[in-house]
Amino acid sequence: MNAQQQETLFRRWLDEHAGLMWKVVRGFAATPQDQDDLFQDVLLQIWSSIPAYRGEAKETTWIYRVAFNTALTWQRGERRRRVGHETFLKLDSSPQTHPSHVDSLREQEIVGQLYSAIRQLPKVDATLALMHLDGLSYHEMAEVLGISDNYIGVKLNRIRKQLAEILKGTTDEL
Amino acid sequence: MNFEELQQAWQSHGNSDKVTLDTDLVLKEVRRNAANFRATIFWRDAREIGVAFGLTIFFSYQGMKTQDWTQGLIALACLGVGAFMVIDRLKQRAKQPISNDPLKGCLESSLLQVCHQIWLLKNVAWWYLLPLSVAIGVSMIHSLGRAQNSNFPASVVLALAAVVIGVLYWGIYQLNLLAVRKTLEPRRRELETLLASLQ
Repeated sequence: MNAQQQETLFRRWLDEHAGLMWKVVRGFAATPQDQDDLFQDVLLQIWSSIPAYRGEAKETTWIYRVAFNTALTWQRGERRRRVGHETFLKLDSSPQTHPSHVDSLREQEIVGQLYSAIRQLPKVDATLALMHLDGLSYHEMAEVLGISDNYIGVKLNRIRKQLAEILKGTTDEL
Repeated sequence: MNFEELQQAWQSHGNSDKVTLDTDLVLKEVRRNAANFRATIFWRDAREIGVAFGLTIFFSYQGMKTQDWTQGLIALACLGVGAFMVIDRLKQRAKQPISNDPLKGCLESSLLQVCHQIWLLKNVAWWYLLPLSVAIGVSMIHSLGRAQNSNFPASVVLALAAVVIGVLYWGIYQLNLLAVRKTLEPRRRELETLLASLQ
């Protein structure tokens, strides 16, 4: 893969999958500073991984792997190598796609609580929770983690209970 | 609220939450970060290995100039330490974790790297301090023998130098152990816990 192809693919992935990368980042980092650091790390790792991409794995599986591997080995406050960083990320919520503005705000709060609950889970469980909420199949999750499909089911049951426990009382009030 | 409702809210929110990136700026940043990262690794290697080879050249030159074979011995020790670092870096580079590996594989490679780093720092006395100490010690004893006829209290100076070097090496050893205790051991435990949760 030459540099031009790498750039083209990277641009397309940013266009199509930036939301996925951002979800992983929010699932592991709470503060805007940490999110910014981790997001840049994820982008750097994705850029570096592209030359090895042969199209054998699904694009989303590949991106999940790189993003999770980066998030799991990322250490808060370690990042000091960036110089003169410029912020390039903008988040746009589009309330017009929702039935009503109130519903949209309620949803936003629920999702905020969910991110907060996910960050309280053990790290590997957080990866599974994020993929499960995104609707990935057991097989896809097993491919990302490198473990057997059977194990996923057992794990997810426990994670659902843990999430329910953490969110108990919170989502009912929303 | 049950899980299915949470999932529905999550997915619907994810679809409406649009992440907008200035792609040109991202590319510029990513390229700069990649270049910074490569430069950091290069200069770290150049610094550590460069010092070892620089000292090899210096002591070789000194040895030739003063016709003192013990200076050559110090040069040899520096060369050995430098060569060990080069070989170790090359071997470890081949075993580096690959970010697109499945999570389990990536964690296993990371754990191996951390364990190797712990081994390296815990054994710094054997591969770094001992060869240099032996070479410097031989050189000192040799100098002491040559200075016996002079009036200058060479033995006192050499004893002081030995104490200074000893304290310096003890400090280096303790710093390495501190790095293991404060940084690497917690990291190893963290990776082991992560891996255990995937077993």
